[in-house]
Amino acid sequence: MIWINRVLRAVFDAVLSPFAAWSPWVGLALVSLVSAVGVLWIFKRTSNQDALAAVKSRIHAGLFEIRLFNDDLPAIFRAQTSILKANAKYLWLSLPPMIWIIVPLFFVFAQLQFHYGYEGLRPAETALLTLRLEEGAEELAAGTKPAVTLDVPAGVEVQAGPVWAPALRELSWRIGVVESGDYEAVVGYGGVEIPKSIRSTDRVARLSPNKVAPHLMGQLLYPAEDPVSGAPSVEALEVSYRERALDFLGWQVPWWLAYFVLMILFAFALRTPMGVTI
Amino acid sequence: MHDFRARPALLSIALCGVLLLAGAVSAEAYVGPGAGFALVSSCLVVFVTAIIALVTVLIWPFRWLYRKIRRRGSEKPRIKRFIMVGLDGQDPRLTDKFMKEGKLPNFEKLAAAGCYERLETTYPSVSPVAWSSFGTGTHPAKHNIFDFLSRDPKTYLPQMSSTEIGTVHKFLKLGKLRLPMHKPELRLLRKSKPFWTLLGEAGIWSTVLRVPITFPPDRFYGAELSAMAAPDLLGTQGTFLLYSTRKSGEKFQEGGMRIPLESNGNPDRFETVIEGPENIFYDGSPPMAIPVAIELDRAAGTARLAVNGDSHELVAGELSDWIKLTFKAVPGVKVMGICRMQVTEIGEHFSLYVTPIALDPEKPAMPVSHPTYYSTYLAKQQGPFSTLGLAEDTWALNEDVVGDETFLTQAYDIDRERQEMFFNSLDRLKKGSLVCVFDGTDRIQHMFWRYMEEGHPAARGKENAEHKNAIEELYRHNDKLVGKVLGKLKKGDLLMVISDHGFTSFRRGINLNTWLHENGYLTLKEGADGGAEWLREVDWSKTRAYALGLCGMYLNVKGREAEGIVEQEKIAGLKKELIEKMSGLVDPETGEVGINELFDTRALYQGPYLTNAPDFIVGYNHGYRISWDGATGVVAGPLWEDNVKAWSGDHGVDPRLVPGVFFCNREIEASDPAIIDIAPSVLRLFGQKVPAHMDGKLLFAEEGS
Repeated sequence: MIWINRVLRAVFDAVLSPFAAWSPWVGLALVSLVSAVGVLWIFKRTSNQDALAAVKSRIHAGLFEIRLFNDDLPAIFRAQTSILKANAKYLWLSLPPMIWIIVPLFFVFAQLQFHYGYEGLRPAETALLTLRLEEGAEELAAGTKPAVTLDVPAGVEVQAGPVWAPALRELSWRIGVVESGDYEAVVGYGGVEIPKSIRSTDRVARLSPNKVAPHLMGQLLYPAEDPVSGAPSVEALEVSYRERALDFLGWQVPWWLAYFVLMILFAFALRTPMGVTI
Repeated sequence: MHDFRARPALLSIALCGVLLLAGAVSAEAYVGPGAGFALVSSCLVVFVTAIIALVTVLIWPFRWLYRKIRRRGSEKPRIKRFIMVGLDGQDPRLTDKFMKEGKLPNFEKLAAAGCYERLETTYPSVSPVAWSSFGTGTHPAKHNIFDFLSRDPKTYLPQMSSTEIGTVHKFLKLGKLRLPMHKPELRLLRKSKPFWTLLGEAGIWSTVLRVPITFPPDRFYGAELSAMAAPDLLGTQGTFLLYSTRKSGEKFQEGGMRIPLESNGNPDRFETVIEGPENIFYDGSPPMAIPVAIELDRAAGTARLAVNGDSHELVAGELSDWIKLTFKAVPGVKVMGICRMQVTEIGEHFSLYVTPIALDPEKPAMPVSHPTYYSTYLAKQQGPFSTLGLAEDTWALNEDVVGDETFLTQAYDIDRERQEMFFNSLDRLKKGSLVCVFDGTDRIQHMFWRYMEEGHPAARGKENAEHKNAIEELYRHNDKLVGKVLGKLKKGDLLMVISDHGFTSFRRGINLNTWLHENGYLTLKEGADGGAEWLREVDWSKTRAYALGLCGMYLNVKGREAEGIVEQEKIAGLKKELIEKMSGLVDPETGEVGINELFDTRALYQGPYLTNAPDFIVGYNHGYRISWDGATGVVAGPLWEDNVKAWSGDHGVDPRLVPGVFFCNREIEASDPAIIDIAPSVLRLFGQKVPAHMDGKLLFAEEGS
């Protein structure tokens, strides 16, 4: 999994880096377009296209029927019932391709989340760097504060901490960024040095708010950085980046909503040229 | 990839389950885009359905009130539903015969429940005329349809009697392109209102399916699907295509185009085009064309056809399903058609038959229904169906391009399409009328009559043909249809099963123009041999009479025809002379009378459009009809000749010889019912007044009488 994530990170970094200085909409639109093409391709090959076309025809016929027999209430209700039945069949037929689409989109979504979901730290901005321990950590049983160290490179300063919150199993430092750049802080715990990336940038870039333990799900959901290794008591190492919202005509929308809508729009526009019934 | 498609949805659900369990809550957010298409579409459907239904329900009381107001003054209807099954050309003599033999139990049942009579047809006894009289309740002089073809008195050239399809003459030029500034005008030349329009004016719904001469469709309160006169995509009444590696072959006499195929090095690969309608966006209106690639597998007897990005495998001897054709005029403008194909030979030579390209009912290039979305609705409901007026390709069988089996397959497939839309409409009809004409009866009798009678010239050498009993099977098929309709009748329904005319043999053809020429009524231009079609070699300055169409004959009247020479005061005398000479005309070869009577149209009926009528209707005897050359205006050739074409039965004869059938589930009061009686009778049954101009009488007793 580590290697898969490393490859995916490299690909997404390479694809999105040309758009890093631009508005997030640009890169997102490109990814949505590519995703739409991929999704249509999968949809075409994993769905029963003939059955989908037939059921869509039945839905259209029902809509025409309502219009045609608009003086006949029972006919209207009958047509509505047939539309709803056909709609249920349509959902059922859409289920297999939908499931197949989830698999690649899962990875795409996870990668995009760490490009568009957060904003980099700005110079003079502060954030929390938190070490969270597993429930079975020795210190929790003993009721003692864990012995930890934190080394930060030039450009990052430790302003306070660590503060131990045993109820949360967390040790937190307040850190500040002096100037823009890519940094690596090192947390020492249990004789192991755990590196953690910290990014200060105003561009669209991959940010890793969570460095997690090497469990499968952790790596699936937080692929932006290699997992913690050699420290079994550590659950995660986190940096509190601000969440990003995209500006759309004055409205703040989450990136995933924009991605979702754009992809749907592209897919609907491309379905005929690609010969796909959706 | 097919494996994925074949896998049950359960497998996918299992995969989904694993992902969700593994990802717990976080994974739910990831499902969104994947589910998007289905959910967005589904939600949209539910939303649109709800909105439409809501609006409809809100408007319904007002529409109900409006209908009530419109029906004010009408008497109470005596029936709830009028259902008419038209079996074009079902012959009473054959019906009697098969009923006596016990082969038509449902017809017998219907007759026993109500009545069975001969139905007087029109003069002439051809479908466009008869069905127009059926709808309007009038004689032809009031509805203006006198034959399939009429003639342009300015040019003497034939023209469609029922429809005028105009052209675009105003364009905006943009370099090589030109943008049409208006739509071509489409005009139905049938006059007088059909009864469904009159019922609609009283707020009574009608569904009218494939009644001839309804193109362009009537606009009324109801739905209508056009029939006879609806053109193919080329604008013709049906032009089949034959792609063939054979070099030989004369031009088809009727309805087809031969396109030579040449391989490009590889004898099993061909590249050609299917030409479609004219592209009016370019100067000279070149035809739109779709490239077609054909790859043969001679050993397997199959051909793979690549067209419009789709691939179709054609098995030799099997008629394909409908194939969609998309012709691109300019970016954004497409013309859609549908056709069927059949590999007719794949040995030393390869031939591919393509049916006439019908307008795609889902996206018709011309209106073939009312409302315009009705054909789309039907296509969405039951899939593609033929929209061509004369849907069964009689010409291809006539020209030996396809065999009996293919023709019958095509005819019964079309019948199945028709039955589906008919029963669908019947199930949805609560009150009002449903009229549907099934043409297969006419077409199959035209093409298979030869096997039914001894010594028919068209059956020589085919005495043991596989489809000898095609007509009997057809009548049994119709009987099943009637049985199915009887099973769906409810209280208050009135069912009529009728035919517009009967049928008889077409053994011998007579070329009327040859007779007129031989007898000094028609003169050819100097040096001409009369071999040109459409009377092009006639010297009009010396011609007093000419024949055109299947049953009509005209005088060359001064002031009416462009080069007319017959003075008004001489018309009566000339008519009398021709009637005397031609009535009872004997075929010297057989000794039989070929023409029973020449009818003076002016003595048959009166009406505002009588001036457009032929001067005579020719009443041929059983076994006779105008010859093939005579029908296309060729003057040369024999006066009498055997008909050796598959088109071996006909009805364009003396109308007294070919009445139709009239079955009804109620008794009628009137004797000698005629096809013109149906419209006024239906109006009365629905409590409507019969317009004074209608010629038909009432078939059913009035209430209280």
